[in-house]
Amino acid sequence: MDAAALENVKRILRGELRYTSSNLALNMLISKMQKKLQADPQSMESCMKEMDAFIAKYPIVAKVDLANIAAL
Amino acid sequence: MLITLEETVELIRKGRLLHIAADDTLLRQLPKGKWIGGTTPYFISEEGGIFTKDRLFVNEIDYAEEAKIAAYGKYNIFQIVEECYDNGLTMLIMPFGSEVVAKYAKEAPEVEELLLHPTIGWVAGADLENGGEIKVYNGENGESYTDKAVVMYLKLPEGKNAMVNLVNIFTDDKTDPIIRFNDNELSATKCTVNGQEVNFAEYIEKKRIDVKMPLVADYNGSYINTSIKGVENGTVGFYAPVFRNVEYRFAAHVEDYVENFQKSIAAAGAKNPVFSCNCILNYLYGDLNGKKLPPFTGPITFGEVAYQLINQTLVYCEILG
Repeated sequence: MDAAALENVKRILRGELRYTSSNLALNMLISKMQKKLQADPQSMESCMKEMDAFIAKYPIVAKVDLANIAAL
Repeated sequence: MLITLEETVELIRKGRLLHIAADDTLLRQLPKGKWIGGTTPYFISEEGGIFTKDRLFVNEIDYAEEAKIAAYGKYNIFQIVEECYDNGLTMLIMPFGSEVVAKYAKEAPEVEELLLHPTIGWVAGADLENGGEIKVYNGENGESYTDKAVVMYLKLPEGKNAMVNLVNIFTDDKTDPIIRFNDNELSATKCTVNGQEVNFAEYIEKKRIDVKMPLVADYNGSYINTSIKGVENGTVGFYAPVFRNVEYRFAAHVEDYVENFQKSIAAAGAKNPVFSCNCILNYLYGDLNGKKLPPFTGPITFGEVAYQLINQTLVYCEILG
């Protein structure tokens, strides 16, 4: 994940930016991580690990999303 | 494709990998082979919505490198996360009203790594007027179950990914009150509406809410429905659980299901779905008998699985790459 995408993913998880994917699983994951972060603001690192794992596992699906997120 | 018993038997004997939906009177006649199945007599075919106990809906799976079939009960259903292929698709069928459905419905959203493994499926049912057996089948060993889920794991070739998605004709009105529940439950007596605790059944009655409209929750832009099963003795029952810490609103009223489906299908942009299923409540409330929803065909089901159990939704899978 490049720096622009990384920063914007963090902002999405904190609720500072809005990004809706066409990928249901990614939307569900973002929603889940947002709730986790709301409950425990110190959990950003573990949330990002889960986001990274998703992106690494499905590069074909995540490629477009990452480009869109970086451009937000 | 909706085909005859003889045609289905021929495909099984040829060794084809199949997902089959049909009335139990047909499923029980099938020989052993590489297939899983579940009961329903309702379908969306190429010719439109249809109720039939004379034909079977068969998906031939020609996009997988390998496949394996297993059955799980309520104590081990979440082994699917460990036993699936690293790059694959998990298809599961569960019998309506079984404990395994209840377990899956309540706990799936919290299961670690479930979202890393594309998981699609449906809940098997029966003829709503005349009843019938509700079962799922493991075609490999010929076993049928009323209390277990059958699962087919598909391994995809390198460079291919499965994408599970949904077509939901329902959306919310953000000016409507926010409803929250205290726990992950399949029924509720109390909830909060805009932060104020109320009796949910009384609230529905007082506001004259049409309970054919589901509760919808916004998961980062993907709307997930929970349908109302009924209101009895002051308790509201659901077809899928409501979850604590999730904000719900009742869906905005839908006048024309087919028109809404056509719009939502166009927006989803699916080109070549390899599997889809649609909810019995959409079939009934939307009068989908005889109506076509291209490019989607498949069983009409009693609960849909797109990672977690959802309601009143068309779910589908595409293979990308």
